[in-house]
Amino acid sequence: METMGTVTPISSVFPAEEAQKASRRVQDTIAERQQQLDQLKGFIDDNISVINLVQKLPDETHHNIMVPFGKAAFFPGRLIHTNEFMVLLGEGYYAERTAKQTVDILKRRGKALETQVESLKAIMQDLEAEASFFDATAQESADGLVEIREDYVEEASSRAETAGYGKPDPTFSLEKDARKFSVEDEEYNRIFSRIDELEKEEEEAEKGNESDEDERIQNEPDSNISEMSTHQEVRSSPVQVVDVAKAPEAPAVSKGDGSLHCDYPPLNRSTMSKALELPEEKKKVQAPPSTSNMAFTGSIVEHAHNIGMNMLEQQTGARSSKPVSRFKMQRK
Amino acid sequence: MAAVKELQRDLENKANDLNKLQKDIAKNHQVRKKYTIQLGENELVLKELDLLNEEANVYKLIGPVLVKQDLAEANANVRKRIDYISAELKRLDATLQDLEEKQNSKKEAIFKLQQRIQALQAGKGKA
Repeated sequence: METMGTVTPISSVFPAEEAQKASRRVQDTIAERQQQLDQLKGFIDDNISVINLVQKLPDETHHNIMVPFGKAAFFPGRLIHTNEFMVLLGEGYYAERTAKQTVDILKRRGKALETQVESLKAIMQDLEAEASFFDATAQESADGLVEIREDYVEEASSRAETAGYGKPDPTFSLEKDARKFSVEDEEYNRIFSRIDELEKEEEEAEKGNESDEDERIQNEPDSNISEMSTHQEVRSSPVQVVDVAKAPEAPAVSKGDGSLHCDYPPLNRSTMSKALELPEEKKKVQAPPSTSNMAFTGSIVEHAHNIGMNMLEQQTGARSSKPVSRFKMQRK
Repeated sequence: MAAVKELQRDLENKANDLNKLQKDIAKNHQVRKKYTIQLGENELVLKELDLLNEEANVYKLIGPVLVKQDLAEANANVRKRIDYISAELKRLDATLQDLEEKQNSKKEAIFKLQQRIQALQAGKGKA
């Protein structure tokens, strides 16, 4: 679950200054395009005024005008041939045209200019979208937004989601997580104490009814769930100590041990008879029973507060203690 | 120490090369832009020439004088010019691509050099 997704703060991928720089660059480009657009609009205006003039000129056979002479001087003149135009087509090509034909050419030129304006406007819109995106990114980066990426797993998707909400950023909220774990510890403690109580109750009931044993064994794996078992150990050990202290049955433990030992001496004897010169081996043989004895003891201690146990009951206890010992071993 | 110096000199050379390449690319872009504009203008001229009737008078401005030209001839000239500009644009595109590839490889080389220098300096700092 912890490795489900990755969290990357946007500021690490797109630093705020970088995003701002990018945004500024786009803004510069937009300004450039705006200039081009203004120029084109100027052309269009010029074109329209030229069209108006050309349309008006052939209305008269001649016009009295001021002819520019040099840069600053004018002299009066007269414009004749008002229906003959030399139109520059571009690339140094001129064509002799009438006013009407000229107007047609100029109108076509105006249309070309307008398509250019349209394309330029589209480009500018794109650039503006880009700029706003960069601005948004810069803003997000400055705000410390994080990107959470998780592999999509169909069955666990809902769990992943909740996990994602639960810990938005493990790197940032490690302390918080630690606190959360401690809270969880308490919860586990409560759960395990409850399980302990239930176990005890069941063990009591077990004396009357052995069939409960199976149930208990089934319960045990549940209590093994996780690493939290240490807490249970801490919790249960004082109980044991107290019980051992006040249990008059404590000797019964040794009695039980003795009965077990009774089983072993023949074995020891046989080994001795075979090889007296190997006391170490003997010890080795004895070693495994001693651990089982300890587990055995533990179980009897748990039963200690029940008065009037006979051997038969002890044996049932011994049997039931087996899962307990396994459990204890797992705890260690 | 000497190795670092050599690497730095190498880096400088590479940076200069990269600068030159970038300048070339910028120049190429400008030329390309000019040609694109000319192409547009020529296409406009061709359209207008096509719209003229056969007996219209067409002149070409050569220096300070207008020289009368045959319409068909002018048309052919403009077409030729368009073809030329298109070819030129294609050529420029090819060179531009080439230059950009070179630029990328140079950038990579410079990046690697920088990393090596950094690694060397870090090693020296530790030692």
